[in-house]
Amino acid sequence: MAALLRPARWLLRAAAAPYLPLSLRLLAGGPGRPDAAVCLRAARARPVAGGLLSQARLHSIAAEKKNYLQEEPTSSHRRNASQFDWALMRLDNSVRRTGRIPKTLLQKVFDNTCHSGSPGGNQALLLLRSCGSLLPELKLSERTEFAHKIWDELQKLGTVYDVSHYNALLKVYLQNDHKFSPTDFLARMEKGNIQPNRVTYQRLIAAYCNMGDIEGASTILGFMKTKDLPVTEAVFSALVTGHARSGDMENAENILTVMKEAGIEPGPDTYLALLNAYAEKGDIDHVKQTLEKVEKSDLYLMDRDLLQIILSFSKAGYPQYVPEILEKITYERRYIPDTMNLILLLVTEKLEDTALQILLACPISRESSQNDFGSFFLRHCVTMNTPAEKLKDYCKKLKEAQLHTSPLQFTLQCALVAQKLDLAKVLMKALKEEGFPIRTHYFWPLLVGHQKEKNVQGIVEVLKGMHEIGVTPDQETYVNYVFPCFDSIKSVRAVLQENGCPHDDNVFSQAELRSKAVNGNLDYILSFLESNTLPFSFSSLRGSLILDCVCSNLLLLLQCTHFLSYQITELLYKDGRYCQEPPGPTEAVGYFLYNLIDSMSDSEVQAKEERLRQYFHQLKEMNVKIPENIYRGIRNLLDSYHVPELIKDVNILVEREKTDSRKPSSSDLESKLEKLKAENQPIGDILKQLIVMLCSEENMQKALELKAKYESDMVVGGYAALINLCCRHDNAEDALNLKREFDRLDSSAVLDTGKYVRLVKVLGKHGKLQDAINILKEMKEKDVPVKDATVLSFFHILNGAALRGETETVKQLHEAIVTLGLAKPSTALSSPLVTLYLEKDDLPAALESTIDCYEKYKILPRIHDVLCKLIEKGETELIQKAMDFVSQEQGEMTMLYDLFFAFLQTGNYKEAKKIIETPGIRARPTRLQWFCDRCIANNQVETLEKLVELTQKLFECDRDQLYYSLLKLYKVNDDWQKADAVWNKMQEENIIPREKTLRLLAEILRNNNQEVPFDVPELWYEEEKDCPTSLPSPVEVNLQQGLLNACHRRRNKAVSRSIFCSNIFNIRTVVFIISPWCSTIYYRIRSIAETHIKGFTLNDAANSLLIITQVRRDYLKDALTTLKTALDLDQIPSRLAVTRLIQACALKGDTESIHDIQKLVNGLEDSIGLSRMVFINNIALAQIKNNNIDVAIESIENMLTSENQTVDPQYFGLAYLFRKVIEGQLEPALKKISIMAERLANQFAVYKPVTDLFLQLVDSGKVNDARALLQRCGAIAEQMPILLVFCIRNCQRPGKAPVMKSLLELIPELIDKEEAYTCLMKSYVFDNDVTSAKALYESLTAKNVKLNDLFLKRYAVLLKNAGESVPFTEPPESFEFYAKQLKESKETHL
Amino acid sequence: MAASAARGAVVLRTNIGRPVAFVRKIPWTAASSELREHFAQFGHVRKCTVPFDKETGFHKGMGWIHFSSEEELHNALQQENHIIDGVKLHVQPQKPKALQGDQTSDEEKDF
Repeated sequence: MAALLRPARWLLRAAAAPYLPLSLRLLAGGPGRPDAAVCLRAARARPVAGGLLSQARLHSIAAEKKNYLQEEPTSSHRRNASQFDWALMRLDNSVRRTGRIPKTLLQKVFDNTCHSGSPGGNQALLLLRSCGSLLPELKLSERTEFAHKIWDELQKLGTVYDVSHYNALLKVYLQNDHKFSPTDFLARMEKGNIQPNRVTYQRLIAAYCNMGDIEGASTILGFMKTKDLPVTEAVFSALVTGHARSGDMENAENILTVMKEAGIEPGPDTYLALLNAYAEKGDIDHVKQTLEKVEKSDLYLMDRDLLQIILSFSKAGYPQYVPEILEKITYERRYIPDTMNLILLLVTEKLEDTALQILLACPISRESSQNDFGSFFLRHCVTMNTPAEKLKDYCKKLKEAQLHTSPLQFTLQCALVAQKLDLAKVLMKALKEEGFPIRTHYFWPLLVGHQKEKNVQGIVEVLKGMHEIGVTPDQETYVNYVFPCFDSIKSVRAVLQENGCPHDDNVFSQAELRSKAVNGNLDYILSFLESNTLPFSFSSLRGSLILDCVCSNLLLLLQCTHFLSYQITELLYKDGRYCQEPPGPTEAVGYFLYNLIDSMSDSEVQAKEERLRQYFHQLKEMNVKIPENIYRGIRNLLDSYHVPELIKDVNILVEREKTDSRKPSSSDLESKLEKLKAENQPIGDILKQLIVMLCSEENMQKALELKAKYESDMVVGGYAALINLCCRHDNAEDALNLKREFDRLDSSAVLDTGKYVRLVKVLGKHGKLQDAINILKEMKEKDVPVKDATVLSFFHILNGAALRGETETVKQLHEAIVTLGLAKPSTALSSPLVTLYLEKDDLPAALESTIDCYEKYKILPRIHDVLCKLIEKGETELIQKAMDFVSQEQGEMTMLYDLFFAFLQTGNYKEAKKIIETPGIRARPTRLQWFCDRCIANNQVETLEKLVELTQKLFECDRDQLYYSLLKLYKVNDDWQKADAVWNKMQEENIIPREKTLRLLAEILRNNNQEVPFDVPELWYEEEKDCPTSLPSPVEVNLQQGLLNACHRRRNKAVSRSIFCSNIFNIRTVVFIISPWCSTIYYRIRSIAETHIKGFTLNDAANSLLIITQVRRDYLKDALTTLKTALDLDQIPSRLAVTRLIQACALKGDTESIHDIQKLVNGLEDSIGLSRMVFINNIALAQIKNNNIDVAIESIENMLTSENQTVDPQYFGLAYLFRKVIEGQLEPALKKISIMAERLANQFAVYKPVTDLFLQLVDSGKVNDARALLQRCGAIAEQMPILLVFCIRNCQRPGKAPVMKSLLELIPELIDKEEAYTCLMKSYVFDNDVTSAKALYESLTAKNVKLNDLFLKRYAVLLKNAGESVPFTEPPESFEFYAKQLKESKETHL
Repeated sequence: MAASAARGAVVLRTNIGRPVAFVRKIPWTAASSELREHFAQFGHVRKCTVPFDKETGFHKGMGWIHFSSEEELHNALQQENHIIDGVKLHVQPQKPKALQGDQTSDEEKDF
């Protein structure tokens, strides 16, 4: 790489010329070029005739992959498509990294390809090409077999082969030394009507020559001559091999002369053919002579070629000459994969001794013990069943050579993975001899395999093996790996005894107990606990795994019933045996509860909040009590799980109830204080309370006065609050004094982190540097916890000072923080040191400061900004200095990127272009992404556009990712024209956009009412899957996105108040983002915001979310208040929020609130998007819940029959009401509603309600009721539009196949409707209901219905996935193709 | 509403970080007992988990050490090299499970 980078360094040297303008100086890169040319020639890439791998081939495969994607940008099934993309990427990565492909990976890709429907030609090509030397771990014959399998399978799936496929197959044959008849091959091509080309003939000649058949080769050569095809070096090289293999070395040598006469100079390939020929004969002398000859000519043999010669020697049985060739190898890093492949190949060919020889010759640095080398060799030896003794020996040698630190352990691992018991036993014994402990879990992988097959004999073998090695199975071994193989634990005991497997009875019975617990057999546990005669004290039970099991079982039970868990708790509580220790039962139960909650994850606790609450209350009824300290532990747990709501429920269990006195007001306190003082009673507590309260009211004046008045009665708590208050009010003087008084009062008292930080900030700001540093020191001495947020506060303190230009403050505080070890000197924390000078435009000092940071802390803060400034000012010497420094310390690549970004940022695009075109530079995704994100954050459109443009040819650059970033920026600016241009550019560049890119692009276009010129991946289907219920409003979509982002952000950044207070917009954003997933955090932030920011209000979206959260938490009154507040602020809450609130009120029977809401939103229904039916349905439901069924029914009937109808009967949907009534099993209501619906139908010809009711009955599985209703009111079957809408809605959700089936049964006429049968099939496919799908297909074909391609495709995929044959030709195109076709045909029909 | 907001603020005040070390790159030869043994030198190990994959019979190289105090965790983190069976472990404090806010409006709080 360094060599390749040389021109770039020259470029920089040129930049030092002082008199040229910077841009021109950087352009003067001419003289650097010849250098580059030399480098490139050295890196020549050419195909090697068979055998080892070549770089060129890898890249052609990578290119092939791209081609494949270009032709078929979308695959038929989205899931498959993404899976396939992933696999292809893996394949490509594997080749790039290791130079080979593991068989399992290829198999996976192949299977995926087959599942994806009809594989394209390039896809087939990729697979075929992978079956040659890229698979060194497979035997040659196996590789060819694999190729044939692929060939046949794909042909069956309808792949059409062309000459390139035949040529690829030929190449595979050559690489695998596959013996075949070239004439037959030609005949096959002819039969397939494929014309052979030059490459075909060349490879056929090579095939003949490999067999030593010169005559055959000559025939083909004759063919080529008549067709006037040029004869290339490859043909001559093949002839060299041909003559040699026919035993005619003289003529083999002569070919070189013939070549020269024909005007073709023999190249490395020809010489390599000759060298291999000599090697196959074991003629080391001639090999050496030829090598010398090559060296003398200006030709150059690469390591790869030499490795080829080694292979020839070894395969021909002359391993003794291998060392002589090994000496000549230079071991360039890039050939390491080739060397590894040769080693693997030799192992495959059972030449493992030679393989080891090569391995040991590899010049891997032996000092760094971290990187073991040779694992691949050992693993492959295990796979190829190399004898155990040999392997032991290899391990010894590898260790002696210091190539591998733990070869035996590694080999053992391989043996275990491969489930080779005998080998494992030998290795374990060897390890034991070395003194390495053999542990129980080593045997688990061996047991796993047998357990999966329920192979009892195998299990017994392993257990015996354990005994042989001297390892006793533990509980876990039995529970997890042995018992599952048997029907009952009794039979395990029997089988073990039968086979003479010794076992520890105690361990065994404990394992039995655990197993029962795991399986939820709590009865067993109960009886065990009751009948237990062993001295089983609770504390031993507490720590043991058994309790974990009990806990997890309790959780299981909590899901359905609590009964048994109470019993266990009760038992623990009441049974003296489990609580013999002094603390008594209270503690036992307390610990039990603590463990129970501790063993749950936070999401579990959140999900089971209500269950746990009930459980606690039940415990209360049982009069169970827990001690306060344990309660505190539980409280902390619940707090950290963000379910503080449960704390009050645990609190009721606390032994000594501490009543919380209601908080009095500050004036109350004050008078109380005076009273006490007058009575000469102690006032410390009340004084503190009062001060704290005044502080919370931000009344500094009063608080300070109070403190001065009662100074002698002050306690530390009061001081702490006061100090904080003064800091908040930027009152450094008083804060410091208070701190001193505080220390005098109790020098060992510690403030919390936030207060210390605030003190440092205020003191620093007011120039009291030494005092600030003293505070920092105190923080260190008193070991105050420093969190991420604290470090962030430090940064803000330093940065603030830097912006104010306070050099000393920044330097000294930074120094103190870092040297005290309060925070690590990160790039962020140290950046103020540089900011200081950048703000003053003192560039030399800024650069010096950055470099200084590197020397001290190995970080380069703000190097990008420094460089940008330097470039802007044309400070060439400083640039040179900076670049020299960066490249020396962090490498040339980093330096180039730094320079590239700086040029881009400053608009010096030409220079940026020069940099990024440096030969040898390759893409660094993280750095590119960093710059993209920066551009997006700063809205630098042009800069980002230039970045994307200039990186077009950058090696290994993820173009799609860059375009995605660009689109993100366009989305911010809502610039659809530019987004559209991106779409065209991507096509021009032949980039295959990922789905997220397409979606983003589509979104931009749609937002601007533009037509989307492509099919957004599987839109028809995806939307249905993503949104099982109704489509969300745009606001909701935004919220969801915000949520997603929040979830990402949440991991990275702690939310800090300093961020909040800096920017009101941010607070809103944060509140809005986080409120849905954690209402408590939301409350907290809001309270911070409300106290600290005047006039703080939430925006529409945040309020809507708040309403939803409150509804979910069942704070309906609060929710209603929020709604009022929002409406008062002229906000429009989301439809979802209002609907949820109305529905929640209805379920509570709160008719009044619904009416209130109706009044509140009156006139806004359309802007919110509320249907009138929401109120009608929910008011009726609320009335029904209040047993006012008749009122509800009467009002509905009135609405539908009166003259002035507000809602058209056609749209008078009561499905929600019906569903809720059915779900709630409100039988009397259902009966009356049914009568009403029928009456409306029969007397007023209003059929919508009765049809809705009918459908809801079907939907909830009440088929008989539905049938009866249908019989009474036959008109239902005629309501086709309503029925079809129902079908269409239902087929978009999973699990609806039975509903659809019953509906079809009740109304068989439905099947005549295309919409209906399409929906039915969709539903069946969704639920994988093959039988019903078959029946549907058959009844349709029996009726001679012409089925569309989409329908057939769906059916075919269902059958295929179920492993059944498809009784018709599967439509070859993708889903979206047919979806689009169908859409278009419908549009034209309209 | 205001009451519930206040309540939210109160209950969140005591935000505790639990003293847990997250350990990666555990060699396959070691399991929880080896880890427990190793980390016992830094303090009382309350709980030590190295989950095994029941499909393969191997663990995934990760584990969690629950100490009983922050100090013990700190001790463990202070040590630069943790080596078991000749393999260097990666030890780091367990990231807080959820967003951890700055301890801010803590007027009533006893430091």
